Amino acid sequence: MTIAVRDVSKWFGDFQALDGVSLEVPADELVALLGPSGSGKTTLLRIIAGLEAPDAGAILFHGEDATARHARDRRVGFVFQHYALFRHMSAFENVAFGLRVRPRPARPAEAEIRCRAHDLLRLVQLDGLAGRYPSELSGGQRQRVALARALAVEPSVLLLDEPFGSLDAKVRKELRRWLRRLHDEIHVTSVFVTHDQEEALEVADRVVVMNEGRVEQVGTPDDVYERPASEFVYRFLGDVNLFHGRLVRPHDVELALTPNGGSAIPAAVRHVRPRGAVVRLELDRLDESETIDAEVSRDRFLELALEKGDRVYVSPRGARLLDAHQ
Amino acid sequence: MVRRLLIGTALGFLALFLALPLAAVVTHALGDGVPAYLRALRDPDTLAAVRLTLLTAAIAVPLNLTFGLAAAWAITKFAFPGKQLLVALIDLPLTVSPVICGMAFVLLFGAQGWFGSWLSDHDLKVVFAVPGIVLATLFVTFPFVARELIPLMQEQGTEEEEAAVVLGASGWQTFRRVTLPNIKWGLLYGVIVCSARAMGEFGAVSVVSGHIRGVTNTVPLHVEILYNEYHLAAAFAAASLLALLALVTLAMQSLVEWQGRRRGEST
Repeated sequence: MTIAVRDVSKWFGDFQALDGVSLEVPADELVALLGPSGSGKTTLLRIIAGLEAPDAGAILFHGEDATARHARDRRVGFVFQHYALFRHMSAFENVAFGLRVRPRPARPAEAEIRCRAHDLLRLVQLDGLAGRYPSELSGGQRQRVALARALAVEPSVLLLDEPFGSLDAKVRKELRRWLRRLHDEIHVTSVFVTHDQEEALEVADRVVVMNEGRVEQVGTPDDVYERPASEFVYRFLGDVNLFHGRLVRPHDVELALTPNGGSAIPAAVRHVRPRGAVVRLELDRLDESETIDAEVSRDRFLELALEKGDRVYVSPRGARLLDAHQ
Repeated sequence: MVRRLLIGTALGFLALFLALPLAAVVTHALGDGVPAYLRALRDPDTLAAVRLTLLTAAIAVPLNLTFGLAAAWAITKFAFPGKQLLVALIDLPLTVSPVICGMAFVLLFGAQGWFGSWLSDHDLKVVFAVPGIVLATLFVTFPFVARELIPLMQEQGTEEEEAAVVLGASGWQTFRRVTLPNIKWGLLYGVIVCSARAMGEFGAVSVVSGHIRGVTNTVPLHVEILYNEYHLAAAFAAASLLALLALVTLAMQSLVEWQGRRRGEST
């Protein structure tokens, strides 16, 4: 199912959380709402779910105006940042909840409810822990119960608020790969909120970059990373350096031991931080008091044989530049 | 050393101000022997006082349970103008002397009061009658359930309710299946405290009761009358009922708190 957001604005008192946001989410895609905190991404997600009402604008599900539709009638699966599992119910009862509260004519028989809940717990690889209470589960397990619970009502849209926000780094990586695979399996239009650019770029089909209540850019991960539409997007999606009024990513910084003429900038190595296959260098410019972040491959680093205090000549690699203050 | 001193002080204080008076009440109540004690309890006026006290509690507690739940729900799950005022108003009965609120009811419903002539025209009696006692008790005990629930519900937030609604639950289903189970121990605790206060209230009830023996006397008022008439054994026998109530309340509170903690819900 497609979701369309038309000119949505939302105020909280004097604070404008959303300022005329428009957005199309194509059917079956996994879309990331990416932005710093306060950019309005969670508010937008909650408006799509019907948990907040927009002050202006409309939400369309499958081309139909759903703005006035109550959250309980939107058939939306929502995974909360802190899971919001029902603390007095077992994992199994949490998953079965959405089926149990259906009005009698639409409610499946008890045997079918049990069967569906167990299927979903199996899907999230938790069938063995069906009887556990939320307080007896780890963060990652709770997250998966929350997801199974959201999927139990066969939602036409799946919305996830910072789904990996409160997990440690390792579990996070595992879970987001798993979510990507799951999405490829079950094909449900999904929107997730994140402030982590790596997460958005790795998991999503399409990234919506938000800032101060507005959409800065919508595009594939490749689009927004390689062809950022604004300085904000460029800066938000990774570290940048400023060269002669132009922004350059650390991995697009070229290092040499000799000036080679041209516009290379002399700098001194301040810090060397090896990071697996690449090496991060912090450089002090010698012509002005700025620092430059550079990232070179391990091989290139060994070839240059750089040490702390050495002098290098820095130049931006030609291709991907963006004028600052654009 | 400091710890022992603190614990010693607390225990000494408890012994002096709680255990000792309680022991004195029991000793005095049984001063004329057990048969006299039982005779005093079987006195028709005492029995009438017990009945009235139970009736008052049976009306006031369910009403305040409903009110407290509604107020706590409104305050913690919704934002609306005047919310701070409502919170302050809930605390009012705790900050106003019970005698004053008794007086207020006399001023409203008494013979010379605002609604006095209307009430007498319709042959209704509030002050110096059972309705007045129930009203005064309602007023005095209304903060207990709400005050118990508000911090608990604030701490739990609204996410579980939102999750239930998104999953398709109706308002009633959300309350029945999500909110109520999460607050049940806190709610029970509030009801216990509310009941204890409803049965033990003296000041406000004293003003509106008129002290008509066998008709408008609750147990605390009856104790006072007996005491003033030097029926000491009878007074302490009735008082021992209230003391017993206090002990039962204490035991139930501890039980509920222990249960609540065991189930991982803070009360």
